[in-house]
Amino acid sequence: MLIRFEQTGGIMGRKVSLDLNISDLPANEAEPLRQALDETNFFALPENMVTQLVPDELQYIITVETENVIHSVRASDTTATPALRALIQNLSKKARSRRTKKE
Amino acid sequence: MHHHLPVLCIIPPHMLQEIARNGSQAQRDMAIRTILISGQTRGQRRAFRELKGLVAASSMAAVGGGKQRTVYSAQQGTQLPGVKVRGEGDPASSDVAVNEAYDGSGITYDLYFDAYGRDSIDNIGMPLNSTVHYQKGYDNAFWDGQQMVYGDGDEDLPPDQRLFNRFTACLDIIAHELTHGVTQHEANLAYLTQSGALNESFSDVFGSLVKQYQRGQAAAQADWIIGEGLFTPNVNGVGIRSMKAPGTAYDDPVLGKDPQPAHMKDYVNTIEDNGGVHINSGIPNHAFYVTALEIGGLAWEKAGRIWYKTLADKLQNTSNFQEAANKTFEAAGELYGTGSLEQLAVQKGWSEVGITIGGSSGGEGCLNTVLRVFGLQVRGR
Repeated sequence: MLIRFEQTGGIMGRKVSLDLNISDLPANEAEPLRQALDETNFFALPENMVTQLVPDELQYIITVETENVIHSVRASDTTATPALRALIQNLSKKARSRRTKKE
Repeated sequence: MHHHLPVLCIIPPHMLQEIARNGSQAQRDMAIRTILISGQTRGQRRAFRELKGLVAASSMAAVGGGKQRTVYSAQQGTQLPGVKVRGEGDPASSDVAVNEAYDGSGITYDLYFDAYGRDSIDNIGMPLNSTVHYQKGYDNAFWDGQQMVYGDGDEDLPPDQRLFNRFTACLDIIAHELTHGVTQHEANLAYLTQSGALNESFSDVFGSLVKQYQRGQAAAQADWIIGEGLFTPNVNGVGIRSMKAPGTAYDDPVLGKDPQPAHMKDYVNTIEDNGGVHINSGIPNHAFYVTALEIGGLAWEKAGRIWYKTLADKLQNTSNFQEAANKTFEAAGELYGTGSLEQLAVQKGWSEVGITIGGSSGGEGCLNTVLRVFGLQVRGR
């Protein structure tokens, strides 16, 4: 399962992106991520959850690809469901902790 | 959220003004709020300012005016506003972020009130609500339409991986977010492409002016950096933007290079960041910087007043850079005289970023294209 995480906007207007293959992650990272993803009911979420543009708010596009399906969801801090926020925080921390070269 | 007052909504504006002047305290209270809240038109806002001069300061305080700060903590969660941790007049907290949000919103209120006679975000004493400790490892601050929200930066990462400090550490960022609220209640600049970049620029302009006001600095002494102190020592940069030299605030192996242009020839066409609102804001930012330096002295006094009058009285939600240039020039003429040093300074400011006063006002088509891409509409007033 492939996950692409993109973060844009915010007070810096900076783009941050992360590509993950869950099967490449160690179990202690893969399992919480799988669980966070399951709890969002990701493939049932609408493609666009951003209904208004909020100054300096971060926006996120998460794309999940399996063998059979690919689905993208666009959300923001104030429009994401609690479960989706938890997934975003998980991916955001991975993106921030892997900042070792120009994004 | 605006709550309409059903009875007073049908009363014509001139009658509301009479009620506001001559009614009982409760009637005046209702009338003043209705003039602003139910109408929100430029003419009514102007009428309110005229009216406000007639209403004693004590009665304004009675209807909710004055500095009213409340700081909440999200306790690293996402629920807003969170738990109240400090109210107006309360003693300082042991939590530095709480005190920074409290003091920073207070200084911002003071600049707007002292320099421009503005009573808070909506000019009728809207409470200044701030939430700190939003989420864990949240590298951002934003205005959600009703309040300021601040993250703690990279506090959840090992020190050698941290790039951002807490966002309340920078007074100009606090003033930047509060100014988004002021803009929302005035020109309500649509947060896309050029109008969005103007929205961002006004926040940077007044963010920088609040910092200069606090430090008592003249334009020539100010650093014109936004977010000085936000980066940890792991970052090669002085802040997130430079109004003096857009594009030079940071150049870092991890963060990349500051992408801001300082001139229209380098304008960035992109659909990211709502059409580059944080990128192309470098152009009007630099126009303000040049104007302020040209006028000299304390930038919030004359240059700031010209920009404030433009935001409050002249721009609309789809205004673009050309219109901002034309209207700041017009405002300078009204405030300081046609052909005055101040008006010529405005002309020079825009000229240095490649915009000629009185030039044709394009860009609406571009905004509408982006709106269609995003599936959005500009809210009418």
